[in-house]
Amino acid sequence: MKELIEYIARSLVDDPTQVEVNCDRGGNKTRVELRVAKEDMGRVIGKGGRVANSMRVLLRVAAAREGKQASLDVVEPR
Amino acid sequence: MEYKKITQEFIAPTVEEAIEQGAKTLGIAQDKLDVEVLDQGSKGLFGLGSRQARVRLSIRNGEEKKPELNPKTERATVEKPIAEKPSPIVTDTVEIEKDPVLKLAEDVVWELLQKMHIDAKVEAKYVAPIDERDQRMVQVEILGRDLSILIGRRSETLNSLQYISSLIVAKEYGEWVPLMIDVQGYRERRERQLKVLARRMAEQVVHTGRRQNLEPMPANERRVIHLELRNHEYVMTESVGEEPNRKVTIILKKQK
Repeated sequence: MKELIEYIARSLVDDPTQVEVNCDRGGNKTRVELRVAKEDMGRVIGKGGRVANSMRVLLRVAAAREGKQASLDVVEPR
Repeated sequence: MEYKKITQEFIAPTVEEAIEQGAKTLGIAQDKLDVEVLDQGSKGLFGLGSRQARVRLSIRNGEEKKPELNPKTERATVEKPIAEKPSPIVTDTVEIEKDPVLKLAEDVVWELLQKMHIDAKVEAKYVAPIDERDQRMVQVEILGRDLSILIGRRSETLNSLQYISSLIVAKEYGEWVPLMIDVQGYRERRERQLKVLARRMAEQVVHTGRRQNLEPMPANERRVIHLELRNHEYVMTESVGEEPNRKVTIILKKQK
């Protein structure tokens, strides 16, 4: 799941070095947290959240294949 | 991307476009290229079963060393029987280097599938435009078993995969490439069903004089309905509502 989000994010941003993906496991549910450079936030969120939502859909499939559930949060850079 | 090879194949809706596209890609004037038409392509019905034209271009080098072209396949004299049955899936010969865009599209989709733990085969090809208003597209076909998970409710997963893939391909190629992803012929099947549905609903509208609302559909499916009824004599279509519940309604045309 982490690899999927990492791959998508790195492929879409201008600054791949600042892509950071963390997984928070709580039982069956995994919370995936994506951080990118401030300038790249728009690219991973998209108009009306379209990119982020598409990533969520794909993440759901990836998680389902592992028998899990997952959610994705795009968070502000530190 | 490399264009070092002196021979490369190009695929486009027509022979002329293929040559033009090839010349542009190679950065060589058309008269400096030897053209071998591999397939003249055919129109097919409703964009189904249509075949792209395929040409092989070789850069003529200065020292009069004519590339080993079969004289009977020279551009002017090509006479390929177009009457032959168009096969739904044309597996392109990959003896020569694959078109860079197709290769890129295949790689991106394959990579995404790998990371989603889905094992499948991926094949990209160009598909001809449906009509003159339509754009040429790259179609990526995903083949394998138990892939319904890739389609999802109202083809949500398939559309997400298509959207993300398009973005990545565009980013890497540096230019937007219309991309369509299909799983086991799902979109083609669905398109046929939608066309039948559109016709049937239109008939009902004509019959009853009342508008018909269709089920909510993603944009690409609504488009199929709009296109199918575009030239209908008595009805017209419009999309109403907000995504993701936007739907097509079919209404009676005002008679003059």
